[in-house]
Amino acid sequence: MIRFTKASVTYGGGVHAMKDLDLEIRDGEFVVIVGLSGAGKSTLIRTVNGLVPLTSGTLEVNGAEVTALSRRGTRDLRADIGMIFQGFNLVNRTTVLNNVLMGRLHRVPTWRTLLGWYPGADVEIAMRALERVEIVEKAYVRAANLSGGQRQRVGIARALAQEPKIILADEPVASLDPPTSHVVMRYLQQINRELGMTTIVNLHFLDLATAYADRIIGLRSGELVFDGSGADADATVFENIYGRSLTADDTMAKEAAGL
Amino acid sequence: MTDGLGGTDGSAGTGHRPSRPAPSVFGLGAGLIATVMTVATAWDWKYGTGFSLLEVFDKFGNNNPVISAIPDTEFSQMFSPRSRNAFVETLRLAVLGTASGVLVARPLALWSTSFGAPNRVALVVVRTISNVIRAFPDILWALLFVSAVGIGVLPGVMALFLFTIAVVTKLTADTLDGIDMGPVEAANATGARRAQMLRTAVVPQILPAYASYSLYAFELNLRASVVLGLVGAGGIGQRIEFFRSQNQWEKVWGLVVMFVIVVFIVDRVSTLVRRRLI
Repeated sequence: MIRFTKASVTYGGGVHAMKDLDLEIRDGEFVVIVGLSGAGKSTLIRTVNGLVPLTSGTLEVNGAEVTALSRRGTRDLRADIGMIFQGFNLVNRTTVLNNVLMGRLHRVPTWRTLLGWYPGADVEIAMRALERVEIVEKAYVRAANLSGGQRQRVGIARALAQEPKIILADEPVASLDPPTSHVVMRYLQQINRELGMTTIVNLHFLDLATAYADRIIGLRSGELVFDGSGADADATVFENIYGRSLTADDTMAKEAAGL
Repeated sequence: MTDGLGGTDGSAGTGHRPSRPAPSVFGLGAGLIATVMTVATAWDWKYGTGFSLLEVFDKFGNNNPVISAIPDTEFSQMFSPRSRNAFVETLRLAVLGTASGVLVARPLALWSTSFGAPNRVALVVVRTISNVIRAFPDILWALLFVSAVGIGVLPGVMALFLFTIAVVTKLTADTLDGIDMGPVEAANATGARRAQMLRTAVVPQILPAYASYSLYAFELNLRASVVLGLVGAGGIGQRIEFFRSQNQWEKVWGLVVMFVIVVFIVDRVSTLVRRRLI
């Protein structure tokens, strides 16, 4: 379970990216966070694994108080949280398999990592993760030689290889075309339903959010302005989240048709 | 105000073209200062060198033992066993100095970045050390080590070791500044330890450049090892210095020819390999 209590994040320049947030996410939920850029979506996701520390308030993840964790404790927490990025964040110069094995680092001794000599069991887990996103045939191909959609699937496999309890996805489809976006979203949904991993996804396309989310959380200037099911989120709700009327840019389907 | 639907470059029709900006004062000033400095230092006055091309030609025309020995170059020096041994020693010097230097340079380079250093103190210490090493020219290191441990190969290797650290650490650290930080964030997000993050997210990105710098350091070291030999740090340089002190310029020229051939071959091979790396 993830529980924010009066949580705030203020960045160096005095930007309030999160203001007094009270939020509870139960195990196994598929939550989509929507909001304009700068609304604090990325900040919220990054506080969960401690990449961004809270300025005040408390945050409990899987029973641990994130702000109170030691460096070691933070690493242990992160091992249970997979993360997927907008820019994929793969090492392009190395193979797909090596990228996925990054997800095993927490379980592998440092000396083995330095030699690049991973235990067979960990390679097996990485291979199974690649099979789940149906890209195992590219295991020994350099990441640089993949398309955007393929790269994001490798990104998902890397997160899966951690065998995590929670998956965080920060704008996972923002660099992809509409059909590929749906493929990636379906993989995330499948993983959530079949493996029961709590999944938190940042999106800015409204139709994608309503299509996949069990629960939608709306952020506006760092504040929670909506929390409800995908069905409850209609145009008025989104106009309130965005603080303006909706345009064709806000939905992926219209953008795809219009361009 | 529109919200920039389909926003392309600029808004055609509105606004006016800006006038051409004035030339940069900094650029003009720097150019002027560089020109003035060059002329002032070459001019024949109190603070100048009084450089003159005529003088160069005059002096070379004089009976000069170094120049006049060129037609009598002793190519046989290239095949004498003692010269060959001295050459092998030079190669050993360069290989050993380069190999040990690049090994130390890699962790030093990683530690001289904000994401690679375990803490601020380590970062500042490592940066200071590599700056100090770099501040001394290799010949000065060789002189210091020759005085410290005596004439021979050891001071040469030690000087090249430090020189390699200085060059490769600096170049690799500069490459590290420009790497993609995405994988670093990804590795940190998996709960990896720092060493694991560096090995999996950073090293693959810099490995080709690092290998290229190592080869380049070897080229530099091969040339430097000759100069180091002049101050007693072993190898072919020491033999050149021996003949020079005896005014046997024909033999010096023979060794120079041999050295140029070796350097040329190493350069070509190294350039070919490096081109494939990057």
